[in-house]
Amino acid sequence: MRTVFKNGRILDPSQELDVIGSVIVEDGQVVDLGEDVEIGEFDEIYDCEGLWIAPGLVDLHAHLREPGGESRETIKSGTQAAAAGGFTTICCMPNTNPPLDTPSLVDFILDKASSPEAGGIFVQPIGALTKGQLGKELGDLAALKMAGVAAVSDEGGPVQDASVMMRAMEFCLQLDLPIMVHCEDLNLSEGGCMNDGPTSAMLGLPGIPRSAEEIMIMRNGVLALNTGCRVHFMRLSTWGGVEMVRQFKYLGAPVTCEVCPPYLTLTDEHVGEFDPMFKTTPPLRTEVDIDILMQGLADGTIDAIASDHSPYAPFEVEVPFEDAPMGMSTLESALGVILTHVTAKNVLSPLETIRKMSTAPAEILGLDAGSLIPGKTPMAQLVLIDPHLEWVFDATRTFSQGKNSPYHGWSFVGKPVLTFCGSEVYRDSLFNEERYELAME
Amino acid sequence: MDAGQIQELLSLAARLKDDILHDRKVSAGRRRTIGLLFFENSTRTRVSFEQACNYLDFRIVNFAGSGSSMNKGESLKDTILTLKHERLEAVVMRHRSSGSAQLGQGYFGGPLINAGDGQHEHPTQALGDALTVLERKGRLDGLKIAIVGDVMHSRVARSNAWLFSKLGSEVRFVGPRTLMPSSMGLLPGEVHYDLRTGISGADVVMCLRLQKERMTDGRLSSIGEFRRLYQVNRATLKWAKDDAIVMHPGPMNRGVELDDMTADGPKSVISEQVSNGVFVRTAVLKWIFEDGGAN
Repeated sequence: MRTVFKNGRILDPSQELDVIGSVIVEDGQVVDLGEDVEIGEFDEIYDCEGLWIAPGLVDLHAHLREPGGESRETIKSGTQAAAAGGFTTICCMPNTNPPLDTPSLVDFILDKASSPEAGGIFVQPIGALTKGQLGKELGDLAALKMAGVAAVSDEGGPVQDASVMMRAMEFCLQLDLPIMVHCEDLNLSEGGCMNDGPTSAMLGLPGIPRSAEEIMIMRNGVLALNTGCRVHFMRLSTWGGVEMVRQFKYLGAPVTCEVCPPYLTLTDEHVGEFDPMFKTTPPLRTEVDIDILMQGLADGTIDAIASDHSPYAPFEVEVPFEDAPMGMSTLESALGVILTHVTAKNVLSPLETIRKMSTAPAEILGLDAGSLIPGKTPMAQLVLIDPHLEWVFDATRTFSQGKNSPYHGWSFVGKPVLTFCGSEVYRDSLFNEERYELAME
Repeated sequence: MDAGQIQELLSLAARLKDDILHDRKVSAGRRRTIGLLFFENSTRTRVSFEQACNYLDFRIVNFAGSGSSMNKGESLKDTILTLKHERLEAVVMRHRSSGSAQLGQGYFGGPLINAGDGQHEHPTQALGDALTVLERKGRLDGLKIAIVGDVMHSRVARSNAWLFSKLGSEVRFVGPRTLMPSSMGLLPGEVHYDLRTGISGADVVMCLRLQKERMTDGRLSSIGEFRRLYQVNRATLKWAKDDAIVMHPGPMNRGVELDDMTADGPKSVISEQVSNGVFVRTAVLKWIFEDGGAN
């Protein structure tokens, strides 16, 4: 089987490649690419003129909810949503019920993800850092690593005890296992449900101060610096956090960090009159934070963009703001948001955009993804993006079961239109069928 | 609500008060069925709405949060939808969560009166307070209103600030930093951490209830500390205008927010606030039906 992606703009940050050319896939693997490749005979061909051909997007941070949260999302619906969002590899977070703290659960997820009904993309489980994600005792991390987790994390229930975290880092250094940290001092954020600021004061909602995030970035950064353990900061939301990560990198700490689309586009003012679609953790901040996060993206302080896909069932969201869960369903809007609000504003070039959403996240966790170099990944993972396509995001028509999107009704320019992971796994209804041709026998 | 609507309501309340005090019948039109939906404990507000319904000859359906289907895990949405389909014509709701009134209104469709939602708003309290000040001062425009105490957790503070500022008063928030939101920029009022400057020259000193919780959540060390810095009493009241009036939305902690002598003294209008609470609630209930159910 020979598949040709012809005459597109190839954007592959793993080889600093930005050229008009073609990509040849044989039996599910990239075999050749570039300006002057021989197209030769083929079984199927995609005319990519005007489109970007990029390595499939890689998400460091998604919640698939299964097991235990099937009313919110399943591995099937979540991987389908990811494929529709242009992702070919996603990391799923361990805060399921039960939490992902045993090898058998890792197997369960990998099995489900590779079943024919699922989205046809790779799922990379992230293990729980502590037993039951309770922040007290270390989990069986060696067993989890052998079962195939790429990193460990206690996600939204972060370890509060610094000595537990220090020992975790020492142990993970030995295992060469990165720790992904959500930075929140739970004493400072207790009871809070949005950014502590003028809007929370006006609405009479308890606020979460920015120091709740900054203090934990500082603590975790210091521990990473002193232990040498690789630490990845998840979903930065504050300008102070960006400055601290910058400083830790300067000091040589083995840290990386991500930002998520909502923190680059939305502020606490969007909460408006108690709209629970805009409730998330860490909370949406301010325009100043957006400015510094954008700078951090541009200057490389922020390594990656992750979706933080957090789907919820409708009934969970139709409650008073304080009772609503924190999180947003984002896999299918992520690239549209970034292309429209980051790339189009020249914060990132097209190549850098793909780096932040594919190559860099793959490198952070050492995943077989994020590159079109022949043989580099076990299976060809690529996405075709139409950078000029204007579309309106409709949260009611998503593959994800989570309809809790802050972007419902937003217009975007640029969309993933076809996702390929060994074979075609998603074709958008806006993909022009004339671009595809099967060779006649 | 804009200033015009508030004034309309206040003059309706004044008229109804006059009628009620002179034993003239105020009910008119159909007997409506009103649901009193109190998810959070309340005595004065609930009784005052009941009394308002009595004057208007409306029927009341009482629904308390405890002992109801909410205890069986029913959501606010389903509770409200049930009441709607049981054909209640208006609902008066108190709920512990900020924003719950707006959410409930969306599901109910018809008139829903907010009787206090979390720390957000308590509009009928503010209307009663405004009527009280209006009776005593003859105007609201240009008055200096100092709201003193736990501003952070007070829906009364927020509703009063909005209402009085819309009608031309100058609002000040006075309280300790631990009980004042860090950014007050979207609320209409000047912030003071010092009682003396806060109430200096004030026409109205409005105390807020201090909850005992504030001592356990680390925001205040003791009642004594609060009393030392923020109690409105004979000595501190001298900083306000000579003819200043003192208010409290209740329930009051005697000897904490106010000393006994001030609470019961000639400057106190606390009992008038309670009576006027009934009259403004009568006005609101009458108005929503006569005005086609506008909220």
